Amino acid sequence: MKNKKRILVVEDEKNLCLLYREELKRAGYEVVATTNARRALDLIKKGNFDLIITDIRMPVKDGLELIADIMAIRKDIPVIINTAYQSYRYDFMSWAADAYLIKSTSLDELKAKIKELIG
Amino acid sequence: MIERFHPFRHQFVQSASKELQIFSILAQSFFQPFSLKDNLLVILTALTAGSGLGFNRAMLFLVDGDQLKGEFWLGPSSAEEAISLWQILSTPEIGYSEIIDYNRRLLMNESNPLVQKIKQVSFPLSPQEPSLPALAAVSREIILVRDAYNEPLVDPQFRELIKVDEFLCIPLLSPDEIFGEIILDNAITRKPINNQDIELASLCGLAAGNYIYVTRLQQRVVEMKRQAALGEMAMFVTHQLRNPLVIIGGFVDQLLAPGLDENKKMRNLRIIKEEINRLEKIMNRLTGFFRIDIKEKAPVNLKEIFKLTIEAVKPMIKSRKVTIETEIESGLVHVLSEPVYLGEALRNLVENSIEALKDGGLIKIKAFRENSDWIVIAVEDNGRGIPNHLKDRIFEAFTSTKEKGLGLGLAYVKRFMEASGGQIKVESKENQGTIIKLYFRAG
Repeated sequence: MKNKKRILVVEDEKNLCLLYREELKRAGYEVVATTNARRALDLIKKGNFDLIITDIRMPVKDGLELIADIMAIRKDIPVIINTAYQSYRYDFMSWAADAYLIKSTSLDELKAKIKELIG
Repeated sequence: MIERFHPFRHQFVQSASKELQIFSILAQSFFQPFSLKDNLLVILTALTAGSGLGFNRAMLFLVDGDQLKGEFWLGPSSAEEAISLWQILSTPEIGYSEIIDYNRRLLMNESNPLVQKIKQVSFPLSPQEPSLPALAAVSREIILVRDAYNEPLVDPQFRELIKVDEFLCIPLLSPDEIFGEIILDNAITRKPINNQDIELASLCGLAAGNYIYVTRLQQRVVEMKRQAALGEMAMFVTHQLRNPLVIIGGFVDQLLAPGLDENKKMRNLRIIKEEINRLEKIMNRLTGFFRIDIKEKAPVNLKEIFKLTIEAVKPMIKSRKVTIETEIESGLVHVLSEPVYLGEALRNLVENSIEALKDGGLIKIKAFRENSDWIVIAVEDNGRGIPNHLKDRIFEAFTSTKEKGLGLGLAYVKRFMEASGGQIKVESKENQGTIIKLYFRAG
């Protein structure tokens, strides 16, 4: 069997983390989820991820800071921003991401974007 | 040596020229805390103040839609009234504020025939061939009418109203708007209107136009600020609602899809219930926030309210290794306040502190006297402090550093302290901690 693509989900809402993990697993991906962006950076350094999905407003470290750090170590991993906020779209750091999605009760858009980016 | 003077001259210098007096009144009117109409009244007062100095009568029309609508008519309605009025107004001690007061009373008086008449008239601004008085506003010109009884450009209804053969029309303008018109006459003294009168009246017209312009701009700025705050609030609330809704939507979709085992079904329902509770909590906090109404204060036992506060935040401190200590100055037992609101305010402050703390953090809730006037309740922590850029904004609603915070906690505390007639002070250093002190009046 072909190796599954690995996705890292960074989301401080525990229940959302759980939802994304389960739904993306069902869609055929291997998923690691964390509620802490600092821990996410450690995971990225160690693990081989094909895609990162991150929220923006999080305690400890926000998603835009995380993207800056990712850029410094692994420019090649595609990043999807998944947030409740429209306004960060105008923050230039968010332009470094490959997609900017607004959290929605349907995960279809998120899944479609993942498929487009990593298949 | 220096000499100091108040910037507003409350008494006219009797020897000052008529021009200087009018200029003084106009300049001062901009600084008076009066309404727009009151200030326009000031300008009409300037035009009619003093026996024989100013004009006898002044009329104000304001634009309302496409009509020029009558607002004020200032001045005596007969020769007898003029004599008594001008006697009062030329009393040496009488100052400008007295004249305005007098005029305001005059206008409030419903039985005043000029007041009654002016309120009933209006003239269209956009007929094919505008007549006077509308013509001056439409053409943006000062117009002096002589021989009004035979002048075809004077509207017959207006001629009937003003009943003089000479009057002056001054439009009130901004560069791109027409606000209204002032009409002046000397119906009692029959003194002809000369060039100097026209100069002075035009100055007053410009001042009134500027004044209306600035006032309307101010009103628009306030309105825009309010709209912006409302927009921000709507956005903040939308964001707060989005996460729970996304979670509910996602787990409901799982329930609807076939093949989910019983354990997971139950788990999903529990999560959905949790998120619904959270939504409800958000709603309750929002509605609660807008209602702080302290009807009666009572002595609140400090030891007890501190205990209740700690009890309320226990679930939060369980998962973090945070210590809460209390300290009450000896001899201090009560504070005069409203127990429910005070409890909520303290809970908000302590919750904020807990969230600012790492493991091993310390919170102190203290009560002490500060001189004989105040009893202070302070919540102190050794947490991360308030970021400098937020220091000025922490009490504004919908300002939060926390993803899940509604940004209402401190705004609530501020509202509560305002309603209590107390004060609130904040001392904070980044990475060292924060003290928030609530000041209550002693006794």
